[in-house]
Amino acid sequence: MKYQIVIAGFGGQGVVFLVKVLAICAGNRNIAFLGTENHGMSQRGGSVSCDIKIGDFTNPVIDKNQADLMIALEQNEGLRNLPFLKLDGTLVTNAKDKDKYPTLPFKGFAKIDAFKKAEKGEFPIQGLNVYMLGFALINDKNFPFSVQEVKDAITQMNAKVAEQNIVILDQAMRDAKESK
Amino acid sequence: MKQTLMGNDAIAWGLIHANVDMVSGYPGTPSSEILTVVQQIKKKLNLDVYAEWGTNEKVGFEVAYAGAIAGKRTCATMKQVGLNVASDALMSAAYIGNLGGMLLIAADDPGFHSSQTEQDSRVFAKFARIPVLDPATPQDAYDLTKYGVELSEKFQIPVMLRPVMRVCHAREIIEMDEETNFKPNKGEFKRDVPRWGAVPRKDRFPQGKEQLNRIEVIKEYNWTHLLKKEFDKCDGKNSVLIITSGTGYGFAKETLSDLNLEADVVKVLMPYPLPVEQMRDRFKSYDKVLVIEEPYPCVEEQIASPNVYGKNTNSIHQIDEMSKEEILKAFINIGLYEGENIYATPPALNFEVEARPPALCPGCPHRDVYYAITKVFKKKKAIYPSDIGCYTLAIAQGAIDSILCMGASVSMASGFSLSDPDKTVVATIGDGTFFHSGIAPLINAVYQNHKFILVILDNSTIAMTGRQTTPSRENKNIDIKKIVEGMGIDCMEHHYSYEMQDNVDFFREVKKVHADATGPTVVVVREFCILDRERAPEFIPNIFAKVDPELCIACDQCTTIYKCPPMAYNDDGVIEIDPFLCAGCGGCLDVVCPTDAFVQDFDYLKRGN
Repeated sequence: MKYQIVIAGFGGQGVVFLVKVLAICAGNRNIAFLGTENHGMSQRGGSVSCDIKIGDFTNPVIDKNQADLMIALEQNEGLRNLPFLKLDGTLVTNAKDKDKYPTLPFKGFAKIDAFKKAEKGEFPIQGLNVYMLGFALINDKNFPFSVQEVKDAITQMNAKVAEQNIVILDQAMRDAKESK
Repeated sequence: MKQTLMGNDAIAWGLIHANVDMVSGYPGTPSSEILTVVQQIKKKLNLDVYAEWGTNEKVGFEVAYAGAIAGKRTCATMKQVGLNVASDALMSAAYIGNLGGMLLIAADDPGFHSSQTEQDSRVFAKFARIPVLDPATPQDAYDLTKYGVELSEKFQIPVMLRPVMRVCHAREIIEMDEETNFKPNKGEFKRDVPRWGAVPRKDRFPQGKEQLNRIEVIKEYNWTHLLKKEFDKCDGKNSVLIITSGTGYGFAKETLSDLNLEADVVKVLMPYPLPVEQMRDRFKSYDKVLVIEEPYPCVEEQIASPNVYGKNTNSIHQIDEMSKEEILKAFINIGLYEGENIYATPPALNFEVEARPPALCPGCPHRDVYYAITKVFKKKKAIYPSDIGCYTLAIAQGAIDSILCMGASVSMASGFSLSDPDKTVVATIGDGTFFHSGIAPLINAVYQNHKFILVILDNSTIAMTGRQTTPSRENKNIDIKKIVEGMGIDCMEHHYSYEMQDNVDFFREVKKVHADATGPTVVVVREFCILDRERAPEFIPNIFAKVDPELCIACDQCTTIYKCPPMAYNDDGVIEIDPFLCAGCGGCLDVVCPTDAFVQDFDYLKRGN
């Protein structure tokens, strides 16, 4: 298997958390994994994008026109990173309902106004990263890991907050099914 | 044992598994996590390890180096520009050598992600005449860390490990030692004055000759132990040979595979010193040899030959980090590939999206202090030299005119005050940077009576690199104010206030004091870091802000001079505060808005935020 995922967001949204979760998923199934993260200056609220390459790869960076999936935690960060996504890939993005979103040529596409849901108190904003991961689990039919594998990895990451994160993940998956 | 680790985690484990029990250095992206993770492993496994930050890289290097002279296995860790600071010690250590293994880790940052320069530490190793190892992946980083410590002990010379950001901050499942049987060397200093106290020219000259001989021996070692088997793997059927160092290997392999191309590939683990004659002998039969490395042509310059292509022949990019697209272009340049650019952006996907550069965090006291400084010391009549740290981001507030390197704010304030005396020079430096290299230039300013204002922003942490502790928070809690007073001058002190008028009033007072001064006026502003879980809660008043839309006149004051990330225009053309980002610092309620449109949002916490 070869699968390349870009996670786009900005500093403080927990992009790196998702890299770690998916790395654990790969490790548990004994599949090779290479990812790259942002630390330091690039973290201070600025654009952050992390690359995840699952399978037999030799460098951690995703080049343009190569990603199978992009999970965008904010709409503009998603648009900024579109060049990395293949046309037959899938874009899963958080985007405000009130903003006009461009029509894009990707084979898979799903958007949700996760900020609005957080504002309404449907989930805590700190869980936006996990929420979008749950949304991607339903909307990317080629997603390389099962729901259970992701839940196990979340528990391994940090058992203390796992319960709350899994509630958010489940809710995102329900929302994704409803919005289909 | 298989473990999912980031490159810097892997290096830290490598150090422990190589029985290194003294680690010193200075934080700097992308190297910072190495020492922190050693501290974590020490705590977790209850190991007897010294793993502590130095006040700067030179200090860190020297502490570790003395340990290696005394026979311990040691490591100094820093980023590439930190090596500039440590270079004085390194250049001499490269003559004198060590008994226990010493690994010098200099992490490079091709692409300027978090650094002022793109300098190549491999070239620095060549300059110092010490061997350097260049890992391609976190697995390599783990293996070469252990290897480097052994090599250093074998050849009695510091060995450099040069990981780049895409190794330090890459994550991978790596294979490491099953068990940790930590057995460090016992330290014992053995007096050997001609060696450890080598004086010029009597002792240094022979050491210089030994250095030259040693490099020749290590070249041979590089060939027999590392490089020969790489060349042996090439079957010679291909007309193109690709010689790679570090990440170049992974990028080159993937590009060849993506494009279905055939070429022999050699992975250089030790890019200096290279056994040039043996290598030339093996690559002379190829039509073309392409060198893929970053960021400088280190290998390429050593093996230069008519059939060698790379940066110096303009065949591959000379600046910015590695990408498969650049390698594809290089393949086109040397005639290996003729097809389309598969790494080009598909058409119609380039959207104009507003840039989101890094910014001071919401609630960061630096923002308010810089706001007050620019309010009191007007731009037209002032020069604002600054320094390296989070506060550099205040450049977005128009509050910074120059950035050079660690500590330069103070000495450049001297220089500007002498060369343009009609302006008021207001320099800013953080407490970490002041301890690192701001003290010597301040002594100079007192010594020579240079008239400027120095504002030391004391948040008692090295914030940018992950909040490492500063000398003001450990053991004796060294106080910056007393350091300044020890130079025989006063140090004005101010405690940051979330009520902006207090900060403005303080700097008005500073202005008055400075008017009558003949030398430097030094100010320490006591702050906190909003990300500092230990200290921040006692300072944050939980006063959340919202905008009274009737009062906002869209004057841009807050978006251009105050620059707090939650503030942005909404669809109605008035400023709105993003409730997810507001930190509740209350800083904007006073002074910042000319029409007082920022008002307290009393219901903020009630809404479950």
